[in-house]
Amino acid sequence: MLLPPIIYEIATLAVFFCIYNVMTWGLNIQFGAAGILNFTYITFMAIGAYVAAVFSLPPQTPGTGVTYVLGLNWPFPLPQVMGGVAAGALGFVVGLVALKRLRSDYLAIVTLAVGSIIYTFVGNFTQLFSGWDGVVGVPEPINNWINLDLNTYEIFYVVVVLAVMLLAWFFTHRLFASPLGRTMRAVREDGDVAEAFGKNTFRIRMLAMVLGCAYAGVAGALLVGYTGAFSPDGWTVGETFVIWAVLLVGGRGNIVGTMLGCFLIVVVFVEGTRFLPTGFLSPNLVATLRNMVIGGLLILTLRFRPEGILPEPRRHFAEIRKGSPEAERAGAS
Amino acid sequence: MHHAFGGLHAVDGCSFAIARGALAAVIGPNGAGKSTMVNVVSGALPSQRGRIRFDGSDITGWVPHRIARRGLIRTFQISREFGGMTVLENLLVTAPDQPGERLWNALFRPALGRRRDRELVSQALEVLDTFELYSLRDEYARTLSGGQKRLLELARAVMAEPKLLLLDEPMAGVNPALIDRLGRHIQRLNAQGITFVLIEHNLEVVERICDHVVVMAVGRTLATGRMAELRRNPEVVTAYLGGGHLERATG
Amino acid sequence: MCARVAHFDLRDQSGAPLNLVPLSIGFGLVTASVLALASLGLTLQFGVTNYVNFAYGAFLTLGAYLVWQISSGWGVNFIVAVVIAALCMGVFAVVAERVVMRPFTRRGSALFFLLIVTFGLSLVLDNLIQAIWGPEYQTFSLPSPGPLHLGPFLLTSYQLIVIGVAVVVMVAVHLLLTRTTVGKAMRAMSDDSVLASVSGIDIERITMLTWFLSGFLAAIAGIALAVTTVSFVPAFGDGFLFIIFAAVILGGIGQPYGAMLGALVIGVATEVSAVVIPAQYKGVVAFAILVIVLLLRPQGLIATRGKA
Repeated sequence: MLLPPIIYEIATLAVFFCIYNVMTWGLNIQFGAAGILNFTYITFMAIGAYVAAVFSLPPQTPGTGVTYVLGLNWPFPLPQVMGGVAAGALGFVVGLVALKRLRSDYLAIVTLAVGSIIYTFVGNFTQLFSGWDGVVGVPEPINNWINLDLNTYEIFYVVVVLAVMLLAWFFTHRLFASPLGRTMRAVREDGDVAEAFGKNTFRIRMLAMVLGCAYAGVAGALLVGYTGAFSPDGWTVGETFVIWAVLLVGGRGNIVGTMLGCFLIVVVFVEGTRFLPTGFLSPNLVATLRNMVIGGLLILTLRFRPEGILPEPRRHFAEIRKGSPEAERAGAS
Repeated sequence: MHHAFGGLHAVDGCSFAIARGALAAVIGPNGAGKSTMVNVVSGALPSQRGRIRFDGSDITGWVPHRIARRGLIRTFQISREFGGMTVLENLLVTAPDQPGERLWNALFRPALGRRRDRELVSQALEVLDTFELYSLRDEYARTLSGGQKRLLELARAVMAEPKLLLLDEPMAGVNPALIDRLGRHIQRLNAQGITFVLIEHNLEVVERICDHVVVMAVGRTLATGRMAELRRNPEVVTAYLGGGHLERATG
Repeated sequence: MCARVAHFDLRDQSGAPLNLVPLSIGFGLVTASVLALASLGLTLQFGVTNYVNFAYGAFLTLGAYLVWQISSGWGVNFIVAVVIAALCMGVFAVVAERVVMRPFTRRGSALFFLLIVTFGLSLVLDNLIQAIWGPEYQTFSLPSPGPLHLGPFLLTSYQLIVIGVAVVVMVAVHLLLTRTTVGKAMRAMSDDSVLASVSGIDIERITMLTWFLSGFLAAIAGIALAVTTVSFVPAFGDGFLFIIFAAVILGGIGQPYGAMLGALVIGVATEVSAVVIPAQYKGVVAFAILVIVLLLRPQGLIATRGKA
C-alpha cells in the first residue's frame, strides 16, 4: 500500500519532531531546571545511537567487511533503554569531573573537550563502531515481530516515537512540578545559597546531568532506529546548537515551550527548508546559511527575549491558611 | 551548645563559645576576619587549626550542606534570594525533610511530595504573614525591594528550622524603620528558641538586643561580654579607633 | 595535531637514526609555541572580562583565513599579510565585543548567558568562514621549508620561526604587563575589577584594548597553527580550542604566566606522548591533563583568588 508522498514527508517530520522534543527536554532538565551548561549535548545522543545500534544489530555476517561489536540483536525496547543508560553513564562520569566547581565556564569547557575527544576516539578507533564509516543496517525496532513493509513501517514508527515522547512528557512534567524540580531551580539560581540551606548541590546537579543525558541517549536510539545508520557526520556541533536554539527560543524551563520551539525550528525551519527549491545555491551553502541563522537566532533571543516564547511557569499554591477549607482538608488527610 | 574554634590565616586564634538560646553578636572593625569566620564555621572555608563544636557534635571540616542540615544556618552579607522563584517558593525550598526531593518519589510517588508541600505551604504562609510579606507571596523574589529582600532572607532561614542562625550583617544598608522591625523579629524568634549570632557593625542594635557580644580584631577574639562593659574596655576602643584604618581584603 | 613533519627521513647528519624522545620534545616546543600564543590571548581576555570566549577558536580560524586571503589570494607579501590580518582581527574582536557582547555585559546578564552567546557567535563565525571560503582544505603557497638539524631536534625553518615569534610575543606581553600603564591596568582589573574601577581605571577602554590584543594574538596563533599543520579547514580552530583550554586551566585561568607555563607542559606532553600512542590521540593527552587538573587542583598552577 503506497500512500501519497506527502504523507511520508509528514511522517518524517513527525518523527523528527518527537525525537527532538525528547532530546530538548533532556537539555531542559540540565539547563532549564538546574542551570548546567552542556555544550556537547549531541555527543550523548550519538552515544545512545551507537549503543542502541550495537545492541540491536544481528551477528556480523562474514565477508561484509564491517566491524561491529556485539551482534546481540535485542528487541525493542531494550536497545533503546541501553542507549539511555550508556548516555546517562557517560554523563555521570563527565559530571564527576566538572560539576564539583560551581562556575559555568568549567563545565562548558569540559563538555566541549569531552565532545572533541569522544568524536576523535570513535572516529579513529575502528575496532569500535566502524570508525568514520559508522554503523549501518540497523534493523527497525519491533519490525521483526510484525513485519511491515518499509513504507507502512514509517507510519508505524511515528506511533512508536510518539508513545515514547508522551512518556517522556509525563515524567518530565512530574519532575518539574515536584519539590525536586524546585530544588533544582534553587541550585540554578544560587548554588552556594542552596548549599547553605542543606541541599547537596553536587548531587542535585549530577541528577540533572545524568537524567538529561539519558534523555539524549534514548532520543539517539530512536533516531538510529529510524535512519538505520549513524556515523560521525551526523554528529556535528551544529546539531547541539539546534537543540539549544529550540530550548531557548521555545522557553527554558517550560515543557510546552520546548514543543513550540521544536515545531518552529526543527519542523518549520530545519526540515521544512530541506524541501525548498535550492536551485541557485549549493546544498552546502544552504546548510551553512541555516547554521548562521540558528546562531543568530540564539543570540537575538537571548538579547531580546531570554526567557523564550513561553517562559517558565510561575508556580502557584492553593490558598491554605489556618481556618480555611483547604487547611481543614489538608489537616484531615 | 558550644561553639568554639581557632586558627586560620585571616582568622588566627579566634575562640569563643555561644550558649544555647543566646542572642549574641560578633563585632569588630573592618578586616577583623568576621566574614571569614562565618565562612569557616558554616563550612564554606576550611579551618587549618582548631575545632568547631556545635550542639554536641564536632563539625570541623563538614561540608556546608551537612552543617546546615545539623541545624546551623547562615545568611549572606548581600541579599541572595532565589530571584527566579516566587517568594513562597523561596520559603518552601529551604525546608528540611522533603520526600519529594528524592528522584524516585518525584517521578513515581508524587503524592508524598504534594502532602509535605501542603504542610509546608500553610507553614510558610504563616511565616510570611508574620513578616508582612504575605501579599508578595507569588511575586518573583527578584522584584522585591531591598528591605523586603532582607525580610525574605530571614523568613527563608526560619523555614529551614534552624537551631542556630548565623546572620552576616543583617542590618547592613537597611533603613532605620526596617532595622527596628528586623530587630524585633530576631528577638521574637530568639524567644521561640532559636540561638542567634549576628555579625554586625551597627553597635546600637547590638547593644539593644544582644545579651552576649564577642569582639574580634585582627583575626582573633579580643574580648567578650555585654556591650556596656565592652564600651569601657580600652583594648576594644583602640581596636575600633585604630582598626578603622586596617585594610584587609576580607572584612 | 600540530608539528607534523611530513616526509623526512629521521636521521642526523652522520646518518645515524635520531632518538625519538628529544625529537618529539622539539616538536613539543613548536606546539607549545602555538599554544602559548593562543592561550595568552584567551587568558588575558578572561582575566579582564571574567568570562570565557568560546568563539576564540573561530578567531584563530578567521585570522588564518585572512592571512591566506591577503597573501595567497591577493598576492601580498606573507609577513605583511600576517601583520595586516592580525590588526584586522584585533579590530574585529573589539567590534565583536561591542556589538555582540556589550549589550549583555552592560545589563549584568548571568554568566551562562554570556557563554551561550559566545558559543552562538562561534557557530555564526565558523559558518561565515565556510560560506566565504568553502569547506575544502586550503594551504599556503609558501616555499617548502628545509629541515634543520639542531642537536637532537629536527625542525623546519618555519617551525623555528614560530618558536621565535612566540618567544618575542611572550616577552612583549611581559613588558606590556609590567612596564606600561595599560598592562598594569589590565592586571588590576584581572585581580579585582571592583577595586580597579574605583581606582579610576577606564574599564571600557582597557576592555577594548584587551579584546584587541586577544584578537591580534588569535590571528598570530591561527596562522602559526595553520603553517605548522600544513593545511587547514574551517573547523580547525575549534578542534584546537579545547587544547587551548587545557593549557589555560592548567596554568590558572586569567594568569598570563600560567598560560605560558601551561602551554609548555601541554605542548611537550602531547608531542612526547606520540612516541608511545598513535598520533591521532594526542588530543586525548591534553584532555587527560585537563581532567587531572580539574580533579586535583582546579584553580591551576597559578591561582587567582575568586576566579576559580
